[in-house]
Amino acid sequence: MAEDQWLTYRERETSDDDFDRDLHTEHQILNMGPSHPATHGTVKFLIELDGESIVDLDIQVGYLHRGFEKECESGSWYQCIPYTDRLNYNSAILANLGFCLGVEKLLGLETPERCQWQRVMGSELSRLADHLTRCGAACLELAAMTPFLYGIQARELTWDLTEALCGARVTTNYIRIGGVKHDMPAGFPEQCRDHIARIRELLKDFDAVITANRIFIDRMRGTGVLDKERLIAFGVTGPLLRAAGVPLDVRKDEPYLTYAELDFDVPVGEVGDNYDRYLVCVEEMHQSLRIIEQCLERLEKLGPGPVNVLDPRVRWPAKGRVFNHMEELIQQFKAVTEGPMVPAGEAYSVVESANGELGFYLVSDGSAVPVKVRCRPPSLLNLQPMPEMLKGCLLADIIPTFDFVNMIGGECDR
Amino acid sequence: MPVRVVKVKRHENLGFLERLYVPMIVKGFATASRHFFRNMRGFITGDRTDFVVQYPEERVDYADAFRGMPVLVALDNGQPKCVACGLCEFACPTDCISILPGELAGSGIERYPEVFDIDMSRCMFCGLCEEACPEEAIVLSRECEISTYERGAMNFHKEQLLVPEHLLKRRLDFLRAEYDRQSAPAGKS
Amino acid sequence: MEDFGSAALRRLLDAHGDAVTATHAQHGDATAVVERARLPDALHFLRDDPECAFQMLTDLCAVDHLEQDGNPRFEVVYHLYSLEKNHRLRVKVGVPEDDCTVPSAIPVWPGANWLEREVWDLYGIRFDGHPDLRRLLLYEEFEGHPLRKDYAKERRQPLVGPEN
Repeated sequence: MAEDQWLTYRERETSDDDFDRDLHTEHQILNMGPSHPATHGTVKFLIELDGESIVDLDIQVGYLHRGFEKECESGSWYQCIPYTDRLNYNSAILANLGFCLGVEKLLGLETPERCQWQRVMGSELSRLADHLTRCGAACLELAAMTPFLYGIQARELTWDLTEALCGARVTTNYIRIGGVKHDMPAGFPEQCRDHIARIRELLKDFDAVITANRIFIDRMRGTGVLDKERLIAFGVTGPLLRAAGVPLDVRKDEPYLTYAELDFDVPVGEVGDNYDRYLVCVEEMHQSLRIIEQCLERLEKLGPGPVNVLDPRVRWPAKGRVFNHMEELIQQFKAVTEGPMVPAGEAYSVVESANGELGFYLVSDGSAVPVKVRCRPPSLLNLQPMPEMLKGCLLADIIPTFDFVNMIGGECDR
Repeated sequence: MPVRVVKVKRHENLGFLERLYVPMIVKGFATASRHFFRNMRGFITGDRTDFVVQYPEERVDYADAFRGMPVLVALDNGQPKCVACGLCEFACPTDCISILPGELAGSGIERYPEVFDIDMSRCMFCGLCEEACPEEAIVLSRECEISTYERGAMNFHKEQLLVPEHLLKRRLDFLRAEYDRQSAPAGKS
Repeated sequence: MEDFGSAALRRLLDAHGDAVTATHAQHGDATAVVERARLPDALHFLRDDPECAFQMLTDLCAVDHLEQDGNPRFEVVYHLYSLEKNHRLRVKVGVPEDDCTVPSAIPVWPGANWLEREVWDLYGIRFDGHPDLRRLLLYEEFEGHPLRKDYAKERRQPLVGPEN
């Protein structure tokens, strides 16, 4: 009886490649997500597994698609700004900035200096919050709860600063076409310096607990590696590419706003594994803190001044006069009901967001409604080579790799 | 400008002790204990250093610039300051405001909103209505805890939205300081 | 045709001048409009030429111009970036409504894969030679292509799963 079974089994499994395998078994398909505790983001992985190692990986995105571009094409240019908040919920100011720089490029506007410094400061606060979330969440998903709490505490401090600056912690709606919503509040530099000192202290604790920890290193080192030529061909930017040793940073290569006057370094890694990505992110946080301090210094030296361009095409009239003067009142009605008219043309603006190059490709036909608002999402392009990074790795390596690819659903799926 | 590139420092070669996990465990304990004892001392002496707020009992004070739910400013006679011009309706990206203007004979202000509804389930607190308003009649309050048991109750009517001016002082002061700053350097714009 | 001071555009005009139908440099972004049939040649040249060296495809998207006299309705737009030379170029190709196909850019840049799937998903433009042209953001049962201007914003579709 037993011998019969053996024979039928051998008869069934007689293909040539079957004899090359160690075990006469099939690959397993595993569905991971769309909602999984180890992925902070709604994404589905279809994983083909040979035991513990990954043979193939298919990533399915789009669970957070809300029609950002369609929505933008039905409102005025002003009404797009709150929607850009919702792209990357960690670093909303960077998305605000990318969009507004694009519209300013179409209009040919140059913003006042004070506004530029505030924009830089806001975008660095955003970058800081994004990196803190990324590193903190990565620790949490690798089962290290303590550093996560330090990271989140530091992020709360940056969000406190964002709230004082913009009026909201996450959905900032701060940058306007040709300026910012309002000047920074009185007492902001003192609060900011105090918080920066506390963030530095927390980063020190974060570093002490995790960076040289063998458990952490074992999970991170040598996982998710892809060589830089391949990353470039896939259009990967940001900390992922810098960790592979390519010092590509839009802030340095094509300086926008006042980045050319600032003193900061670009951290790069050597190998391009997750450990390098972590180290690059931590170093970038320290650089961001340096930039914020420089911005505060420059803002204090600059003294009070306008934070908006005095261009009637985009600037709503000064409120104090709208209440009492007929002319401004009419102008206000015109500005709100029509919205800014942007000259016909196309422009591509680019900022260095926390995930990489965030581009906005805007097309206008000369009316108040955009023809096309295309957001070039760094998350989407960074996520794309992930199957290639992970082929041959273990199932558990998905988690640190996905954490440092840092796919943000809102930005990836728009 | 030459790009100054710094190479990150990897902990490649772990020493014997480090490979034993021991020093990091001790270091981790030390760091966590330091936080714990500092917070406990603060708790006993009353000079709190911990970060967590016991929410419903304790609340944090939001910044001056904080944007909460939009409300209507009420005049002393209880009537809204709003003149139902509809600019906020135009400015709103999510179309959550609906206004029906009415006529009020015999008072100083002849136009008023007969119906003023804000669908709070769609409102995203962006503040464009406040920026558009030419009468300082709709402002963002400091209230942000608006949850209801039914969806229909999220549609706030005029009576629910009216807030007397003195309760909105902090927001109005913040806005007025901004107007002054705007018009100080160049009044013409 | 004018090169607007862009070295990459000059090289492209010298090598494939007959494929380029128009150039402009609005707001400092050098742009070349390329014939659809010659697109793969042009893209290969732009990547491999040492003076151009566009190793990175930063973005690929489509634009729907709906009503335009004589011009094709859709436009597929490629944004290229060169790390070595630190310059950018925009390549555009017109796509008529009755023949919505464009040669795929995956042989040139593998990163074009998802971007082309997204354009197919939202605009319904097919990419010849794409190995796996599925919808990217929406689900397979979705009808129509929502970023086309004639797709009404108010239109609702039930979210259906695969039949099983």
